[in-house]
Amino acid sequence: MISDNLVELHGLTVAFDGVKVLHGIDLTVRRGEAIGLVGESGCGKSVTWLAALGLLPGKATVAGSVRVDGQEILGGPRTVLESVRGKRIAMIFQDPSSSLNPVICIGRQITEALVIHRALTGKAAKAEALRLMDMVGIPDARRRFDLFPHEFSGGQCQRLMIAMALAGEPDLLVADEPTTALDATIQAQILDLLIELRKETGMATIFISHDLGAVSQVCERACVMYAGRIVEQGTIAALFDNPRHPYTRGLFDAIPRLDGPRERLIPIPGTVPHPRDLPEGCAFSPRCSHAAADCRSGRPNLSAMDDGRLLSCFHPVGHPAGLMQAAESRIQEAVS
Amino acid sequence: MIAPSANAALIEAKDLVRTYEVRQGMFGKATPVRAVDGINLTVMPGETLGVVGESGSGKSTLGRMLLGIDSPQEGETFFDGKPMPKLGTPEWRALRARMQLVYQDPLAALDRRLTVAEQIGEPLAIHKLVPKEHRAIRVAELMVSVGLRPDQADRYPHELSGGQRQRVVIARALASRPKLLVCDEPVSALDVSIQAQVVNMLRDLQEKNGIAMVFISHDLKVVRNMADRVAVMYLGRIVEEASSDVIFAAPLHPYTKALVSSVPVPGKPLKGRTILQGEPPNPANRPSGCAFHPRCPLATDICRTSVPHLRQVADGRTAACHLLAGADQPVAA
Ligand SMILES: Nc1ncnc2c1ncn2[C@@H]1O[C@H](COP(=O)(O)OP(=O)(O)OP(=O)(O)O)[C@@H](O)[C@H]1O
Ligand SMILES: Nc1ncnc2c1ncn2[C@@H]1O[C@H](COP(=O)(O)OP(=O)(O)OP(=O)(O)O)[C@@H](O)[C@H]1O
Ligand code: SF4
Ligand SMILES: [Mg+2]
Ligand SMILES: [Mg+2]
Repeated sequence: MISDNLVELHGLTVAFDGVKVLHGIDLTVRRGEAIGLVGESGCGKSVTWLAALGLLPGKATVAGSVRVDGQEILGGPRTVLESVRGKRIAMIFQDPSSSLNPVICIGRQITEALVIHRALTGKAAKAEALRLMDMVGIPDARRRFDLFPHEFSGGQCQRLMIAMALAGEPDLLVADEPTTALDATIQAQILDLLIELRKETGMATIFISHDLGAVSQVCERACVMYAGRIVEQGTIAALFDNPRHPYTRGLFDAIPRLDGPRERLIPIPGTVPHPRDLPEGCAFSPRCSHAAADCRSGRPNLSAMDDGRLLSCFHPVGHPAGLMQAAESRIQEAVS
Repeated sequence: MIAPSANAALIEAKDLVRTYEVRQGMFGKATPVRAVDGINLTVMPGETLGVVGESGSGKSTLGRMLLGIDSPQEGETFFDGKPMPKLGTPEWRALRARMQLVYQDPLAALDRRLTVAEQIGEPLAIHKLVPKEHRAIRVAELMVSVGLRPDQADRYPHELSGGQRQRVVIARALASRPKLLVCDEPVSALDVSIQAQVVNMLRDLQEKNGIAMVFISHDLKVVRNMADRVAVMYLGRIVEEASSDVIFAAPLHPYTKALVSSVPVPGKPLKGRTILQGEPPNPANRPSGCAFHPRCPLATDICRTSVPHLRQVADGRTAACHLLAGADQPVAA
């Protein structure tokens, strides 16, 4: 029997040179769903998926469990990992220059991925590569098949990387900041492409981004990470309309608005702590306006709330579950 | 905010043109690229002008020309009513203390061998602004004004966070009490939480010291928050200019409309918004007529052949589009 769960992370931890940067991530990705990962720089968004896919350098110590369709891939034989990476789970990396080879023409790069992941060769591989280029919206793919990466614009390179990721027909696409380096209008095109591709292929998506607005458009669910932990997780509606963790709330409040009155921005004071000297208790406590004495001594666990979200905070903000329904119907009205 | 006493522009640019020779590939022949193609603008004392537009539209080139760091091939810049002196001349160097540049990458702007206090004190020494014995006090004041702690004075740039480094850069820019600050993507590399800290600080400093600012950014949300007025650039030209409140609420030019529509708003779905098709244009191969026409959903024949000029389309608003009412009548002077 095939379970609903595609990928399960359990207690995933990562340390670099003995300094822990990821403190036990639990996350289940169901077939076909889109999950956003947000949080300030250095919170562990990229490391989570690099660790899960065995892509961290040797000095990283990774522990915990990563299951794909129930099968453990962490610490297993290389062949298991290799059968998953690129094929079942594909990743688009944050650093775009690392992903396309500048001296090999685009057509060959995509065909090679098809050879590796789907054993396609010759005409069949070329036809499929052209189909993928079409699918991600490269105009005139046939004529541009033999061009090199520098002959494409930034937005088109991003589309080509998505095409390469799709070559293995993955069940899960991990897109790490896929639009950060792009202009606003091109960014909107790529978000639209990710949404359309998911509709067409039914693949699940992990969307890592600084931009809460972008996450709300691509995903149904989001995890908010802080200092190597998930601190809140829930549906987009729950998080956006009624954030409960002071950090989630802080991230929303800090976004300047494009409409309404121009008001003073509300920053989160201070900065993300260095993993080497995390504060006692709740790692967010030095920056938190709700922190009390208990926050500085004990660490809140990530636990389920009545409305289904997961939260790790002793003194949450916002409304408890009951009031949520009213809020949600308000959102529905506003959207429709 | 416009200071009551001042009705003369602090900085005025007239028909600025800057062309670069750009080589296509390693052995390709050089083609001229008009990075800035006929720009007129004014900034009043104490006012903030926001500049937005796609990558390569000429924002940074414009910013550099406003400071005289880069010289236009055509047109002229006036600072305080006087023509900008030539780069490197003693007159220009004297003026340089009055106008400062803050750009995106603070680490590149700082000298990694100098401490925070030394970095901030440097312009005071170079421009001989404050006698040596008073420098430490002025540096301490500057650090407080940008929200740095006194104990950070002896730190080196690599020991600071991105937001703190940008504060050092800003403190150094403020050391010479400039009248004009050109900020080129000053918060783009920062997390939203930290971005908000720096934006608030810049607004406070500006209010307190009455500094005029040219604020360049591709983040429309930040620009709306900082700027009094906004100029939208496309391929080296201004296509729309208006107050920051109206331009984002009711954009007129089709490109501005697309730009505003592309900003992801938390909780609002993508569908129903205009997603601009097509790629950003290649500046080396400028489209005929309105440079935006290949991507414009409303383009007609005239857009392909004739260049629309920037004209007044409403009170205090200018736009360059054939379809906007008023565009075929000359602007009432
Ligand atoms: N190769 C590495 N060696 C040492 N430390 C690393 C390495 N990669 C990441 N780290 C550290 O791990 C922590 C988490 O980093 P990660 O890249 O996952 O952050 P992130 O949330 O993806 O941030 P960003 O938004 O900047 O991409 C950080 O403290 C980072 O400095
Ligand atoms: N020093 C230079 N030599 C050659 N070409 C240049 C130079 N500086 C800028 N250009 C070209 O001029 C045009 C405008 O560049 P500019 O850096 O001003 O754009 P921008 O709007 O600041 O873009 P971004 O948002 O990417 O910073 C681009 O086509 C660019 O390639
Ligand atoms: S646990 Fe305490 S310090 Fe941490 S976020 Fe909640 S209220 Fe703030
Ligand atoms: Mg990352
Ligand atoms: Mg620039």
